[in-house]
Amino acid sequence: MTLKKLLVGLFSLLLVAGLAGCKADPKPVSGKVLFWHTYSEGEEALFLEEVVPLFNEAYPEIEIESVRMPYDGLKQQVITAYTGNVAPDVMRMDIVWVPEFAKQGILEEVSAFDEFSDLKDNFFAGSLSTNFYNGKYYGLPLNTNTKVAVYSKAVLAELGMTEAPATWDEMIALARTLKASDDRWGLTPQGFGPWGFLPYFWTLGGKVTDDEYSVATGYLNSADSIAAVQQLYDYYKEGLIGPAMFGEQPDAWGGMAGGNYLWIDDGPWYFSIIGQTAIDSTIVSTIPEGKGGSVSVVGGEDLVMFNKSENKDASWTFMQFMMTDEVQKIMAKTGMIPVTQSAADSLTDVPAYVATYIEQLKTAQPRTPSASWGSIEQVLSLAIESVFRDEKTVTEALNDAATEIDALLK
Amino acid sequence: MIRKILMYLVLILFAISTALPFMYMIATAMTPDSYIMPYPPILIPATLYLGNFIAALASNNFLKYFMNSVFVSTVSTIAAMVVSSMSAYAFARFNFRFKEQLFRLYLFSLMIPGLLNIVPQFLFINSIGLVDSYAGLILLYVGAGIAYNTFFLRGFFQSIPREIEDSAIIDGAGRFTIFTRIILPLSKPALGTFAIFAFTGFWDEFSSALTILKSVDMRTLPIAIQLFRQQHGTDWGLIFAATLIALVPIIIFFVVFQKRFIKGDFLSGSVKG
Amino acid sequence: MKKSLKYKYRNELEVLPFLLPGFILLLIFIFYPIAKNFYMSLSDYNIFLDKMNTFTGIDNYIRVFKDKMFWDAFINTAAYAAVTILPQMAIGLILAIIINTKIKGSFLFRILFYIPVITSWLIVSLIFRYLFESGDAGLINYLLLKANLIQTSISWFSNRWTANAVIWILAVWKGIGWNMVVFLAGLQGIDRSYYEAADIDGANIIQKVRFITIPLLKPVTFFIMTNLLVGSFNVFTQVYVMTNGAPMGRTQVLLSYMYKVAFTDFQIGYSSALSVVVGVFIFILAMGQQKFLNMGYKEGQL
Repeated sequence: MTLKKLLVGLFSLLLVAGLAGCKADPKPVSGKVLFWHTYSEGEEALFLEEVVPLFNEAYPEIEIESVRMPYDGLKQQVITAYTGNVAPDVMRMDIVWVPEFAKQGILEEVSAFDEFSDLKDNFFAGSLSTNFYNGKYYGLPLNTNTKVAVYSKAVLAELGMTEAPATWDEMIALARTLKASDDRWGLTPQGFGPWGFLPYFWTLGGKVTDDEYSVATGYLNSADSIAAVQQLYDYYKEGLIGPAMFGEQPDAWGGMAGGNYLWIDDGPWYFSIIGQTAIDSTIVSTIPEGKGGSVSVVGGEDLVMFNKSENKDASWTFMQFMMTDEVQKIMAKTGMIPVTQSAADSLTDVPAYVATYIEQLKTAQPRTPSASWGSIEQVLSLAIESVFRDEKTVTEALNDAATEIDALLK
Repeated sequence: MIRKILMYLVLILFAISTALPFMYMIATAMTPDSYIMPYPPILIPATLYLGNFIAALASNNFLKYFMNSVFVSTVSTIAAMVVSSMSAYAFARFNFRFKEQLFRLYLFSLMIPGLLNIVPQFLFINSIGLVDSYAGLILLYVGAGIAYNTFFLRGFFQSIPREIEDSAIIDGAGRFTIFTRIILPLSKPALGTFAIFAFTGFWDEFSSALTILKSVDMRTLPIAIQLFRQQHGTDWGLIFAATLIALVPIIIFFVVFQKRFIKGDFLSGSVKG
Repeated sequence: MKKSLKYKYRNELEVLPFLLPGFILLLIFIFYPIAKNFYMSLSDYNIFLDKMNTFTGIDNYIRVFKDKMFWDAFINTAAYAAVTILPQMAIGLILAIIINTKIKGSFLFRILFYIPVITSWLIVSLIFRYLFESGDAGLINYLLLKANLIQTSISWFSNRWTANAVIWILAVWKGIGWNMVVFLAGLQGIDRSYYEAADIDGANIIQKVRFITIPLLKPVTFFIMTNLLVGSFNVFTQVYVMTNGAPMGRTQVLLSYMYKVAFTDFQIGYSSALSVVVGVFIFILAMGQQKFLNMGYKEGQL
């Protein structure tokens, strides 16, 4: 009896010593990390049920407090929380926000951490670049995405096709056949905003700025760019473009469900949100190749740390943990595409459509990384909309926009 | 008789136009998997599917947030009523220097769009340590609404005949006694109306609540409903079902207050008596 | 001496306990933010670090007057006020008068008309957006086509004024119940003996409304008007949700435009300048109304 007690006691002592020994080599980091995110309910469940327990196992001294924030009004929430010193330590935010917040001087520079240089090379370059501002990095990419072409199986079948058209011209030929019925459309950009419009613009050979993102004049209003917009405008006049572009019904998802649209371009959430019906009724492919190639737009979220955080070591530990292949692969189950080469290479157990997204990402481009992106976005949307609403010619609209964007890029 | 028919005709006409959007809302709430808004719109539910109501109640701590909202809205309504009825009474019945100018200042403050007011307001609440507490949120609600609420109640207090008070003053009653024993009871319809509007406003408020309340457990119902709108898609059935559930307490509140306070005999008895 | 001072300020001392709690709240929660707002408008303000980047003086104000988007938003807001206030008051009054006669079922109608008021702006805006969808299958288009009021379906949100029309219709639809409730409270304050006297004189219902109800409701009417006027300049959610300015920023109202300025590129100073300009404008407008307002209340004091 006593012997047994003694043995149990000894054993547990050894166990404690062993555990302590494991963690002892680096200084044990402790603290509480307040983490804001806008994961959907399903994504949050995955994060809380699989990622957090793994983290707690590896770092029992660090506590993660995860807070799901509504997407609407989020910037105002960051303002008040930061000024009142109750901001989160770490936040997952849209990639286009990072330079904007960095410019305000509230984000911690992550390129100053020792481990950054090791992490850096494993990231996809496009994803990493969204964290760049003024010569430094202010965040780590967390998950990336893009949009691919999602074709309606039923509409394709009606046109006698069993697979997606490979080139832009083939796709347009199909679209022209559809024109015969007046509630069917061949191509459907989702809105005039850059997120909706750019894949079409780039694929047809347009450019927004130079490769250094420093100037728009000579690029946005180049002959190629003007031709690209003109071509889309001509498709619209020909009756090939669906009403969803004008924010009218049927919207993109409704038009796919109702068989009104041949294809839309959309992100992996189209499948993770709608579910099996979406997977069964569509064929996914990269954007049909045009003059500019098959070019889509990069989306996704980055992980940033606020510079007022009092738990920087713990926060940095957590951020690095989110980049591990294991975590990246867990979150990929919801269609979130990993940001590291190693995780992307070893993906298993993910939906089939994910492969197409990874393929598309190889040529996808980011929206102009700039602290003034919010304003640039408005200028671009207005320019394109003014063409489609017949208020400006393509040349006028793009010339004006290029001048305005030049000023914003300075 | 013709008059009655005419009156019913008007009522029914407006009843239909009022109800139409809600029929659409109810029909959508009874549609499963409704990430796509039904198009063309449906007004009669195809099935009696209640899954969205059950899912709404089951998700995001809905019931807890519901009770939080009941608490915050009720206490805020009472607190706002106490503070603003006092200052409304001051403006309605007292004579003091700069009264008109001061009241004009109250009105003026209503005119400035307060888009960025939340930042200094939040910093103040933070400085007295009330961030992440209901006390802080209630204080903000009462404080930010003070000018409007004073304006609201002053008009009603002014319409109470002075004769009643005058006789009380002759009887030697103090100002406070007059306020609690005469003005407030006589203002029941106005206070009832006030309570309905105030409660409605607090019940629906989202942005300040999210700013002040940091703990997930303390959140209120509008925050939970906002969370159904996701970045890449909204489950319309779910969000409409949640909204319909959220309407229930406020309809009850309305019915109770209309029945108890805003019924017939406003003033008539006391003026004549 | 002390006594006479106390005598001199006796009115102020008497009112203080009633006035002070509210006044302190007003200073903290409204006047301080307004002052701060003015201060921020004089610079390129960094709201996160709570400091001026550079003092710019009246530059932001000069920019306001050259900003075409602002003036579009201003005109939309003014149109909103001009178009929505009277109809919702008129309909609210008619419904209140009918309901006040206590005809059978009036209580149910009263609840029904109030439901739009208590439904959140966010939700009703989402619903109206869908009811007014373009194409023959949008509900409103469908009904209008059926009734032969239009020949081809309307693309409501593709055109500045049709999009504004939807915003106005929503405002009236949602505002009627509020007007009704306030008018009801006012109607119940009217002594029944007036109507009894009118009955003896053989007045009909129109005459009674015209010569008794409307004059006696004057204070309530002015109260409602001021309310709706201030409310018009604070219209936000329905525009933000339904059009977000589309097409091309032409349906933006003041608040939705200021929101865009403040939160897309953190131009806090400029956004503050906009709210000062708008505030001063509404104040001047309200001062014009003030005389009527006071007159209204004085008449209402019986």
